[in-house]
Amino acid sequence: MESNATTSRMTAIALSFMAVIWVSPFSWLILNAFNPDASGLLEIPKSVGLDNFAEAVSGDAGRQFLNSLIIAAGTATLSVLVGIAAAYPLSRLRIPGRNAFLWTLVLLRMLPSVGVLVPLYFAAQRSGLLNQLGVIISLTILNLPFTLLLLKNFFDTVPIELEEAAYVEGASLLQIVTKIVLPMSRAGIAVVWFYSFTGAWNEFLLPLIFARVQDAFPMSVGLYAAFGQQGAINYGFLTAFSIIYAAPAIGVYFLLRRNMNTGFAGVGVKG
Amino acid sequence: MTNQSNPWLTSNIWVLGLALLPAALLIGALLYFTAWAIAFSFTDLALVGRKSVEWSWVGLQNFERLFTRRGFLESLWTTVVFVFFSAIVGQSVLGFMLAAVLRGTRSQLRTIIEVSIMLGWLLPDIVAAFLWSATTSQTGLINQLIVVPLGFKPINFINEYALPIVTIANVWKGTAWSYLLFSAALDSVSREVVEAAKVDGATPLQRVLLVQLPIIRPHIATNMLFITIWTFTYFPLIYAMTGGGPGTQTQTLALFLYNQSFSRGNLGFGSAISVAMLIIVGVLSLFYLRLLREPK
Repeated sequence: MESNATTSRMTAIALSFMAVIWVSPFSWLILNAFNPDASGLLEIPKSVGLDNFAEAVSGDAGRQFLNSLIIAAGTATLSVLVGIAAAYPLSRLRIPGRNAFLWTLVLLRMLPSVGVLVPLYFAAQRSGLLNQLGVIISLTILNLPFTLLLLKNFFDTVPIELEEAAYVEGASLLQIVTKIVLPMSRAGIAVVWFYSFTGAWNEFLLPLIFARVQDAFPMSVGLYAAFGQQGAINYGFLTAFSIIYAAPAIGVYFLLRRNMNTGFAGVGVKG
Repeated sequence: MTNQSNPWLTSNIWVLGLALLPAALLIGALLYFTAWAIAFSFTDLALVGRKSVEWSWVGLQNFERLFTRRGFLESLWTTVVFVFFSAIVGQSVLGFMLAAVLRGTRSQLRTIIEVSIMLGWLLPDIVAAFLWSATTSQTGLINQLIVVPLGFKPINFINEYALPIVTIANVWKGTAWSYLLFSAALDSVSREVVEAAKVDGATPLQRVLLVQLPIIRPHIATNMLFITIWTFTYFPLIYAMTGGGPGTQTQTLALFLYNQSFSRGNLGFGSAISVAMLIIVGVLSLFYLRLLREPK
């Protein structure tokens, strides 16, 4: 018993030590962001203010926020639309070679996306898509294997008897899909949408290559350009900018987590 | 299972086929780009100026260059070191240890650690890169809190220990994934087995290493598969923190590919690098999948 108590106290001390190390960069981030005279040191601010945040949502920074929003929302929406259209037939039809096709997708998912970077850039350049639309389409392509698999799995859980019943009542395909299948897999669709959104929100490499002008930078490239530059670093601005940039991804995660649960529980009766 | 004779499906077979089309086109594009990446690797395709390109077939010359000139093998080695220490030693071992220790405890400490490693994971790559660049700079947190109070001169960690620093940053950022996976895996180990070992006089450490670890072996292999491949091709954190430098000290394969293709415009050679990466990742996946299938 004695040794157990000692071990658990040692464990607690070790864990506390780890927790302190782990969170210290966050405390630095927050203390600097709310300090109008931030110097980049860990210190208690003499005054607390939102000046840094005001700076981080105006001008170039505000535009970058908008660019990120366009890229992330565009990618998520396009991924979900293309994904739904294909996942429903894939889930319901006995297409020859369907399993081989899905396995090919799993394999594609494992390949590194940097592998197709050069042809992707080249194709975008040729078709005049070295812009946000190009980033959206490229990210949708890279997302698609995963989106398809996930959506097909969600559609598989919608009981087919409900569709049969609706057909007997005289419903058309469009009505069956929009009135039964989509509402019942709403949580699954939300998960896929959010997943694509956060992935695109975080994306750095594609915009870096595609968006070569300042006006087109999303927040990831904007932040990189700001702290990568030589010379004095404006810590107040950068920390506030970081918090604004990180907030949607963190917020969306907590939304996604709730949706995950209802997504699996709410679909309920397995088909 | 689905049934081909569903009448609302069979009567709308063309509509459904049409609905498949956009996805089929995009998947086709992905395959097409992969095929071109392979084709480009046999050319000396290069960016000339901003818009135009020049190319001719060079056969296996790019692949020869991978092994005869400086760059590729060094980057491969850097990547192996980075993946081994950040993903396998760092994230997996730390994630497993945390999962094993925190499991069953309902302390506030557990909540604090879980939330903080989750926050690291959720942080956009570039924010994490900024945080760690700032923390490890000459005027950063480590110097302010540890080095200077101990009476030493401030050290520019990010310059002098670049590879260890990006490795630690990646452990800090990515441990949550392994932790979550191992927590779920340990929850799936039945209580009876662990209790039985306890009755037989196994110490907590023995229970973890000799009882639980072998049972969750498939989860370990799955975790290794994902984080190895992911870290192998991971780009943003290192690129934003060091750009591959100083010199080529932190130039992993992904950065080498980027630098060759887009900084120097050597698209053909860059494609050869990506083909080499595809092969390495493919071999790694096969290796792990074997590991997954084998536990008999």
